[in-house]
Amino acid sequence: MESFNYDNKIVRNFAFASIAFGVIGMLVGLLAALQLVFPSLNFGIAETTYGRIRPLHTNAVIFAFVGNGIFMGVYYSLQRLLKTRMYSDVLSQIHFWGWQAIILAAAITLPLGITSSHEYAELEWPIDIAIALVWIVFGINMFGTILKRRENHLYVAIWFYIATWITVTVLHVFNNLELPVHLFKSIPVFAGVQDALVQWWYGHNAVAFFLTTPYLGLMYYFLPKAANRPVYSYKLSIIDFWALIFIYIWAGPHHLLYTSLPDWAQSLGTVFSVMLIAPSWGGMLNGLLTLRGAWDKVRTDPVLKFMVVAVTAYGMATLEGPLLSVKSINAISHYTDWTVGHVHVGALGWNGMLTFGVLYWLIPRIYDTKLYSMKLANWHFWIGTLGIAFYAIPLYWAGWTQSLMWKQFTPDGFLVYGNFLETVTQILPMYMLRIVGGTLYYAGVLMMVYNIWKTVAAGKLIADQPAQAPALEAYVPHKGEYWHKWIERKPIQMLIASAVLILIGGLVEIIPMMMIDNNVPKIASVQPYTPLELEGRDIYIREGCVGCHSQMIRPFRSETERYGEYSKSGEFIYDRPFLWGSKRTGPDLHRQGGKYPDSWHYNHMLEPESMSPGSIMPPYPWLFKNEINTKYTAAKIKTLQTLGTPYPDGYADRAVEDLEKQAKQVAERLSKDGINQDNMEKKEIVALIAYLQRLGTDIKVKQTPAAEVK
Amino acid sequence: MKRLLISIFVYAVLLFSAVHLSAQDGGETSAPAPDVMTLAYNNILVILAVLVLIGVILAGLNLIWALIEIQRIKLLDKYGPEVLEKANLSATGTLWDKISQKSWNLVPLEREKEIEFDHEYDGIRELDNSLPPWWVWLFYLTILWGAAYLVYYHLTDMGPNQEQEYVMAMEAGEDQKAKFLASQANAVDENSVVFLDDPAALEEGKTIYMANCAACHGNSGEGLVGPNFTDKYWIHGGGIKNIFSTIKYGVPEKGMISWKTQLRPAAMQKVASYIMTLEGTNPPNPKAPEGNLYEPEKDNTAPEQKSNTEEVKSGN
Repeated sequence: MESFNYDNKIVRNFAFASIAFGVIGMLVGLLAALQLVFPSLNFGIAETTYGRIRPLHTNAVIFAFVGNGIFMGVYYSLQRLLKTRMYSDVLSQIHFWGWQAIILAAAITLPLGITSSHEYAELEWPIDIAIALVWIVFGINMFGTILKRRENHLYVAIWFYIATWITVTVLHVFNNLELPVHLFKSIPVFAGVQDALVQWWYGHNAVAFFLTTPYLGLMYYFLPKAANRPVYSYKLSIIDFWALIFIYIWAGPHHLLYTSLPDWAQSLGTVFSVMLIAPSWGGMLNGLLTLRGAWDKVRTDPVLKFMVVAVTAYGMATLEGPLLSVKSINAISHYTDWTVGHVHVGALGWNGMLTFGVLYWLIPRIYDTKLYSMKLANWHFWIGTLGIAFYAIPLYWAGWTQSLMWKQFTPDGFLVYGNFLETVTQILPMYMLRIVGGTLYYAGVLMMVYNIWKTVAAGKLIADQPAQAPALEAYVPHKGEYWHKWIERKPIQMLIASAVLILIGGLVEIIPMMMIDNNVPKIASVQPYTPLELEGRDIYIREGCVGCHSQMIRPFRSETERYGEYSKSGEFIYDRPFLWGSKRTGPDLHRQGGKYPDSWHYNHMLEPESMSPGSIMPPYPWLFKNEINTKYTAAKIKTLQTLGTPYPDGYADRAVEDLEKQAKQVAERLSKDGINQDNMEKKEIVALIAYLQRLGTDIKVKQTPAAEVK
Repeated sequence: MKRLLISIFVYAVLLFSAVHLSAQDGGETSAPAPDVMTLAYNNILVILAVLVLIGVILAGLNLIWALIEIQRIKLLDKYGPEVLEKANLSATGTLWDKISQKSWNLVPLEREKEIEFDHEYDGIRELDNSLPPWWVWLFYLTILWGAAYLVYYHLTDMGPNQEQEYVMAMEAGEDQKAKFLASQANAVDENSVVFLDDPAALEEGKTIYMANCAACHGNSGEGLVGPNFTDKYWIHGGGIKNIFSTIKYGVPEKGMISWKTQLRPAAMQKVASYIMTLEGTNPPNPKAPEGNLYEPEKDNTAPEQKSNTEEVKSGN
């Protein structure tokens, strides 16, 4: 027997970080939800405007709340499953403080509008590099621990941790391939459709390999522990694991159905999403059936209640996801709040409830005490579950309502709701109910904070928990042993096998998109942005306009009637990053150019309600004060040239001159419409207007799109 | 037996002819294949009926099994287990139990120890339950569905791609519209439009104006971003026909959008009529006149103007 200590302090640190950032991240989410009903809560301040608040919320709950939750669970379970302390306390510390520093950097840069605009990968390049480094530290620490283990076989939870680590590494690196312009600005190497494909290959698998596989690992450890029941089926664990990681990676294109992504890629997304139902449910079944014979405990133990709801929410979300990937359903759901409801079933139900369950189970154990109040934990459970229902159901309702309104025609061929705003004001009551749901859920979280606070105060942290285990002996395989047992003893082989499996799907989809030109048919009339438009576009990115406005008109009668000709892939070849968006809280803007006069945009950005009474868009007064920053214009042009945008040689030197010329023209047009302001041509609003007026105007199409296609 | 064979034959013939007939129908109309959603929607009653039928059949089977079970218990009561075994009636459980057992293939809790691995991870043990058969079939089914999907849409040209879908939807929309318009007589265009002096129509015109035009032309037509409607000067011509035409087609280069996809012809006629009534109303803060002094044509309803057409410089 060898004696050693488990490191509980690092587990405690991650647990507290997860709770703290959960409290903050969800509060920011609540603010965003309030802003959608009460636009005045944007406060007229750039840093608190919805467009910047939304990515702050998503990053905080995904990477800070769930991220720290993952590390808490991994550091607790890994040591115990392998009968050893973490490989290096120093690496554990670097991992912990490094990750918190990244979160802090995100919390500062996102409100400042420093963003790459790739969803769930908004952070700029210096932070991307920091993430990669800290992630590698985590990897070394994890594999070091695995290699010095006192246990021959790796338990299924660890398979999931390994697959998570390698896949997140691959995803993070490829989706953040970008050339820096300066410290806070980079330009992605892929453009338009290709950028979109890589981003959603990443975005979808951020859900898969950050919110799902590590949490499945946690489920496989904490659920049987809490229920004190054997895992239902070892076979199911094996099939579930390999099928899940292989199939998941292909499903990314289902975020781009009916866009200008080529049909074949869309179909792969659909088909693999549907094939994902069974592997996803494999995990759910293995969890729920493990509780066979322990359902009486579920009735009394809040920990198990949280876990049951978590696993059930996982099952519901992973059935719903594939259904949403079927084109006919996606045609209704996409761009609406249905998607928002769907992700929150996953986030609040699966990730949230599982984290709470683990916290209630783990904190008393490492503090060598009992949970302060079972009653309060039960209250948290019920109010949290109710909160999820109040959150999701109104948003489903809102999504269906709005989508049907978008699509409804009168018999004489007009849109019944030609004014987009009508379809927004219609669903505001549902947004209101969503706030109620979010508040309930949040109240539950605050109860948990109090409960855990009191528990911690009553106990004392066992920082180094003594344990004993026999030293590792060379393994003698049994005769006729299942072949899989071999790989369970070989962490490096497991790593390689996972890497190969997850690379297949990604490569099959991405390489043809990069290599085969006719996947993105060229359109001769499409030209690069002018320097002023480029600066305007960067303001559009900074303000997070993409959070509410898509730039991707789908080939539907209801969309071409409302917005104009549907979007073609060749129109986006100079879009770095792509700005297709994934939610329409406001209308699509791809054919916005020339639709309204400059003065309309001027007034609208200053006070949206002056042009569209009842609009929930916030005003952007700072655009009228800030001057266009031309310091990096030349550098941007040069970077774009490096990436292949065909500006003439030496254009970077003339760029600012051109920018000022065009700005003057816009200012003159505004002045003609009776709008005058000191130094108008220097203000950011002018650049933004120039960009908006350029959108979608490079191709000229006839009024009857049907004839055009034929 | 002979009768049974004959009736089967008759049914087969009937069935065949029915299929034959419907195939001919399809050939004559050559309608585009409706998508699954429409098909499901149009046949919702049939689908519901089938579901109810299946439910009824299952309930019936369940009842039969329950009756057999009762019979078994009665026999057990009367003769004891030995006789029953001989009679081979020892089946246990209802049909549902059997289906459930077949589809889950669970080892009963009491016999769990038999399938437990002799290994544990930090106290976690594992069972060697087989994969639930229904889950395996679900997996196979989705894979088959995936293969069929790719064959249908990509390996053959049976399924339309999204551009073809779009063309079909647009044609269907045009057809619908044409049919509707043929049955209506409300088509007004810039050649046939006339001024409406009916107060109800003007009131409606005002509502449309406030919702769509006031943002640029002012609540009283005094002009903001857009020109003033209360003077006698018009950039693109006054009079009901010109105003209607400007609303309908817009002047995109000057910022006036085309409203023909948002307002019906009748609505444009009403709002154009309302705009004409604004002339001479003298609202506060009027925008300076723009365009040319408009001289109404003789056949117009507005009173005659005497002054010559004169150019006015646009002011701020």
